[in-house]
Amino acid sequence: MLSEKELERYDRQIRIFGIEGQEKLKKAKVAVVGIGGLGSPVAYYLTAAGIGEILLIDEQIPELSNLNRQILHWEEDLDKTPKSLSAKRKLEKLNSDVKIEAFVGKLTRENIEDVLKDVDVIVDCLDNFETRYLLDEFAHKKGVPLVHAAVEGLHGQATTIIPEKTKSLREIFPIPPKKKEKFPILGATAGVMGTIQAAEVIKLITGCGEPLANKLLVIDLAHNAFEIIELK
Amino acid sequence: MVMCVRVKVRYFARFRDIAGVSEEEFDIPDDAKVKDLIELIKKKHPKFNDEIFEQNEEADVNVSKNGRYVDFDEELREGDIIALFPPVSGG
Repeated sequence: MLSEKELERYDRQIRIFGIEGQEKLKKAKVAVVGIGGLGSPVAYYLTAAGIGEILLIDEQIPELSNLNRQILHWEEDLDKTPKSLSAKRKLEKLNSDVKIEAFVGKLTRENIEDVLKDVDVIVDCLDNFETRYLLDEFAHKKGVPLVHAAVEGLHGQATTIIPEKTKSLREIFPIPPKKKEKFPILGATAGVMGTIQAAEVIKLITGCGEPLANKLLVIDLAHNAFEIIELK
Repeated sequence: MVMCVRVKVRYFARFRDIAGVSEEEFDIPDDAKVKDLIELIKKKHPKFNDEIFEQNEEADVNVSKNGRYVDFDEELREGDIIALFPPVSGG
């Protein structure tokens, strides 16, 4: 049941998917893996939308060169507060109805089942394919949808993996792109792609609209080119 | 005599800057595959060789044909539209 305050707070989106949709968001638990350029807008919008429980996973500490895009981390957090805790502190101030959990650590084959237990949707905001494949395997094993995005420069891609319904991330990208330690990236690119991921999560939970299942969305902001590629 | 077919290639993101055009046409043998087209593209734009393709070419480019994701062994036909996308992995 939603309180009077919640009905007012979420009024503009309840007009999209109804009180029932908002209640589904309230009951949901979402894991955001990586609280960087993508993870910041994802966690921000999911908190604002009233997801019941959000699990933030990251082991790194913000550095000065992160701040052009990782908008949940501020100057006061530099070289001090782990990203998952830095994000938790702000998100709790944004929406005290949402339960924010922080995991300061790296996902591994050994801890993934424990860390991601009871999660309804996983959001891939990582910067490497090694851990992405781990998430992908877990998602298929447990039947949990996985919302993927990746960015570089002014270019980004997104797709939603739904076990039993779509290809796995490894089937789509069998050969991992080389990981670059310092890749070029504009904050706005991560903002666009992360916001798309947040919308995908909300669509999956409420059943509203059509997720990017078996579709790869590719965006090139430099040339304002948007493409949807069929993956089936 | 080898029959030729004409396909259109569209470049995305960084590839567009390297090719210097957003799209162009190629005449290819009618039994050509995506990998043969890639060779032609490399010949026409040597910068692809220098800057993009290093070791494993399939890891360095994503390819779609007529809006559908395909691999390097996909055969090409007259009028196909091929799009080339750089892989991304950052977050």
